[in-house]
Amino acid sequence: MSASGLAMGGAVRPRLRPLQRARRRREGAFGYAMIGASFALIIVFTLLPIAASLGLSFFSWDIISPPRFVGTENYERLAADNHVVNSFVVTLGLAVAIVLLQLVIGMALAVLVQQRRRSWVRGLFRTIYYLPLLASTAAASVFMGYIFNERFGVVNYYLALLGLPDVPWLTSSTGASATIVMVAVWQSVGFTFVLFVAALSSLPRDVLEAVALDGAGPVRTFFSVKLPLISPTVFFASVVNLINAMQLFDQPFIMTSGGPGTSTTTTTMIIYQTAFQNLQFGYGSAISMVLFAVLIAMTGVQFLVARRWVFYS
Amino acid sequence: MSYPEAALSRRTLLKAGGTGLAMAGLASLAACTSAGSGSGSKTLTVAYFGDQKAADAFRKRIEPVVRKLDKSVTVRVNGTSGTDWNVFFAKLLTQIASGSSPDIVSVATEGLQLMASKDLAMPLDDYVKRDIKELKSYFDDVPASLVEAMMFQGHLYELPTDYNAGNMYYNTALLQQAGVAAPTEHWTIDDFHAASTALARNKNTEAYGWVVRLWGSWTSFLYANGGNLLEEGKYPGGSWLWDAAYKGDPSAQGRSGGWKWGDPTANSAEAVEALQYLLEMKRAGLSPSPDVSGGSDLQNLFAAGRVGMAIGGGFWAGGLANAGMKRGSFDVQFFPEWKSQRHLFGASGFAIFQKSDKKDLAWEVVKELSKPSSFDVIFPGNATTPARQSLLTAERYATTGPQNWQVFGKTLTEFPTTAPIPAPPYYNALATALNQRTTQAISSGDVKSALDGLQRDLEAARSSAGS
Repeated sequence: MSASGLAMGGAVRPRLRPLQRARRRREGAFGYAMIGASFALIIVFTLLPIAASLGLSFFSWDIISPPRFVGTENYERLAADNHVVNSFVVTLGLAVAIVLLQLVIGMALAVLVQQRRRSWVRGLFRTIYYLPLLASTAAASVFMGYIFNERFGVVNYYLALLGLPDVPWLTSSTGASATIVMVAVWQSVGFTFVLFVAALSSLPRDVLEAVALDGAGPVRTFFSVKLPLISPTVFFASVVNLINAMQLFDQPFIMTSGGPGTSTTTTTMIIYQTAFQNLQFGYGSAISMVLFAVLIAMTGVQFLVARRWVFYS
Repeated sequence: MSYPEAALSRRTLLKAGGTGLAMAGLASLAACTSAGSGSGSKTLTVAYFGDQKAADAFRKRIEPVVRKLDKSVTVRVNGTSGTDWNVFFAKLLTQIASGSSPDIVSVATEGLQLMASKDLAMPLDDYVKRDIKELKSYFDDVPASLVEAMMFQGHLYELPTDYNAGNMYYNTALLQQAGVAAPTEHWTIDDFHAASTALARNKNTEAYGWVVRLWGSWTSFLYANGGNLLEEGKYPGGSWLWDAAYKGDPSAQGRSGGWKWGDPTANSAEAVEALQYLLEMKRAGLSPSPDVSGGSDLQNLFAAGRVGMAIGGGFWAGGLANAGMKRGSFDVQFFPEWKSQRHLFGASGFAIFQKSDKKDLAWEVVKELSKPSSFDVIFPGNATTPARQSLLTAERYATTGPQNWQVFGKTLTEFPTTAPIPAPPYYNALATALNQRTTQAISSGDVKSALDGLQRDLEAARSSAGS
């Protein structure tokens, strides 16, 4: 133990033998190699494409001819493009509905499952609710498109058996939006549910016992104790779900083609149409950069607002 | 000297990071290499609209055709699936951009001007001029209207192998049950309406079924009503072909260097009336809300006896037979006369890529594929209508039906104003806008407003494309 070590107030490390030192160096190197590899993948597949997209947004490029620099023209055009502006409104509406339902339904399911005493019952429900998340979104959307088809869908078939009229699930603006939200929530609520189950399972038992001794009922316990305690998880779920929902593509693309009209045309669909169908990669990149900025801004707002309601114990 | 736990020198960290980057770089390079087109190899690559299973079956069919020309060549067919041609072209163009250019691509009318205007497909003019004698039997057999549809700015880009015109199919049993006589050649829109009304009394069927797309949708009604989505024009030129291949053929008179699609006319009185007519059909319970689709669901519903009448081309014959319909259980007639009995059609063939380093071989393959002996090899089971009129025979339709198969050929010869679908270089944007605005009209019930929107969309698309 050296005097300098004590003087600095730090813990004094035991002297290591050369073999131990070598082993630790190897372990350290291995750890950094792992971090380096994932960092490299993030650079190659996330940061570089973002940078390339940002650069491309200042060009006009049809993928075949050489790109032509156009300055901020794509951004100026974007602001006056009703289709793009409308797609942001549509996406925001769908995303807010999806996230709210994911949080409410996910929480309700988690609370109900947590109340089951038998562990195998809890396990069974966890599996059932998580299962849709494992299905391919594209395949599930095709399947749901058939189920909700106005003409030959199963849903309308059973409604007809009950003497009810056909519902234009995918051929009216309201119906299509509602169906898209329903399908998106059905498929992704398992993620939120699992997060909430984990959070509710890790609540401190002594606090809950104290609340019970004070005579609080289940509703009061949930809203006054459990919810504040798991508020960091709710916040995390809301941030992640909103980012995902703002990038909604598969369900509207496959089930409604963005229609009727443009009522379910999301911003990612507009990006796809602009870049890959209309061969305007520069303009498509500009739209994607604006979506990127909107997502950052929305996440920033969520973090600011979170200061008022998220409780970190 | 002591070492903090898991501490590393900066050099080691950089080495580790460098290794990771190098690995990722190698992975991406490997991905790029595997996507190569095999340029310079003895592999002829064909881009095909269909899933890979269908593409493999197609390869098995055309490989013997290619091997007849050069035994050392192998054929690779890359299948690309999608709901309609616009999706196929979007994916194909992305493949091309990634350096994976095919030698030959199967292209329908929908994408011809797109391919030609981007210099992706090469004009066949020099080859055709060189082999004009050899091609005499081909041009003698193929209507001029189909060949003209494959021209752009005076150049020929494909030898059409097949086509499909928007005729009207009907379920014979359902018509009989409804007490409706089979439509005659010169039936009118009123006859069609009366037949639909009678069919609609059967609550288990849809009197008239349709889908939202460019070919054979409400656009067939638009053509018969004397309108179009775009102003019709023709490119000058093309006399090098017409004079050499169609000399003295009256059907070739007035033919040009291809269709020139001008200003949008999507909100014309004719267009509004045509779409309004179908909306009224829906309101009257004669027609359901259509889906945005390539039409396979509609064909299945028709085959299941759920639809009384629907627009279909020659490809429906094979499709309905495959779905289990017997010959005689359905038939086909011309599209009914409204202001005229003008039909629309789409043709298809094989284009050669500019970037192909096997152009001569590709041309020989294209010629081989256009021969009568090749048609049933590449399109078995009446999956489409042969461009060669000599192949339209009773024998061909003896198994599948329809009994009134002569309609397919006569649509081109008896109605000389029959024209291809409006597919300008900005076809993809047009298809998207058409689908969106049609569903908007059906959903809102406001046809005029929706078509005004379509007009604006098409004007913007045309302006962006620089047409």
